[in-house]
Amino acid sequence: MMKRKANGGDGQPVAQAERELELIDQAQRGDRKAFGQLVRRHREGVVNVVYRLCGDADLAEEAAQEAFIRAWTNLPRYRPRSAFRNWLYRIANNVAIDALRREKETVELEAVPLAHPDGGPEVLVERRERGEKVRQAVLDLPPASRAVIVLREYEGLSYKEIADTLGIPMGTVMSRLNYARGLLRQTLAPYMEGA
Amino acid sequence: MKEHARHWLGGYLDGELRGLRLRWVESHLGECSACRSELDALKDLRALLLESPSMEAAMPPERFVAEVGLRLPRRQERPPVQRTLELAWRMAPAGLLLSLAFVQTVFILAGVLRAALSLGLGGDVAALLFPSAGGGTSFGDVLSLSPASLAGALQMVVGLVRGGTALAWLPVLYLLCLVVIGMLYWSWLASWWVRRRHEQLAASNSIG
Repeated sequence: MMKRKANGGDGQPVAQAERELELIDQAQRGDRKAFGQLVRRHREGVVNVVYRLCGDADLAEEAAQEAFIRAWTNLPRYRPRSAFRNWLYRIANNVAIDALRREKETVELEAVPLAHPDGGPEVLVERRERGEKVRQAVLDLPPASRAVIVLREYEGLSYKEIADTLGIPMGTVMSRLNYARGLLRQTLAPYMEGA
Repeated sequence: MKEHARHWLGGYLDGELRGLRLRWVESHLGECSACRSELDALKDLRALLLESPSMEAAMPPERFVAEVGLRLPRRQERPPVQRTLELAWRMAPAGLLLSLAFVQTVFILAGVLRAALSLGLGGDVAALLFPSAGGGTSFGDVLSLSPASLAGALQMVVGLVRGGTALAWLPVLYLLCLVVIGMLYWSWLASWWVRRRHEQLAASNSIG
């Protein structure tokens, strides 16, 4: 099972959170090195969010870079009322939507290295096939529901954090999650018996 | 007919339910096999979703950071005049507060003076405060700020107050000051709100 990310959320150690606030403050005043450290901290999360939303590995890294550049440009306007990670994910979500709009016709399933080293070749092939079906099912969700399910299931954000990130009420988060889960259960019903 | 907990099972699975709702769902799950199997299905879905592999980055982290660093645009620095104006704008409420405090103080002092005069204690106030004062006072003398000129000015004020001229105008002047300060404050507040909305809109447009 995949590990959930814990950085930037409520479980983040205080010292680390304080250090992050320092880095944000420095970056807001134009310190590129400080911003580089922020990029290093959040690269994995942002790349994965974009990847889950657009389903294209090459596009994801390019779009994640674009997200960080937008973050740099808008950093003077960022206020630490919401977590920096959530603010970045909001930008990443918008960038992924834009990237998908541009590359709509070229997005297709591709070979992605698997993070399951255990099991023989047959098991690996089966898992890979199932993993790709799941990925496609998530990609087929309407964008609004997809963003909510990605942030909840893959990034482990709370409803409150998702609401902050996407700028929607908590009730909407819950209803979109219910809707997305309902659709996924229908689409993935053949795979769920063996899951 | 028994009410099912389907709508709340996602929130329950995500650990987002609290208080009465949580207790109700827990007790309902204890007695409803349909909702239990629904919850199991949601757990299965979660496990299945996590089987979809995360992306293994093709680019090493350091290269990613370096490429982002190279693509970062130069930030536009605001000119010093703009920064000074910005600071002045931010300090405006403090200035208005000070003005209000000044007006209140003047009004209170005027009240005290009026009370002193009505008790017949004001006649020699100037002489008491500035014993060296004597003779008439011109506007030019007042501007020189010498003890003699100030005492003369005070005597002039006392004379005006006694004559009723200043006292008649004081409440009007006081109200006028309050209205002006209030209007300036509300204007500042309105411009702050408009500016904040504008910034929020600009931020959401630019990150969108």
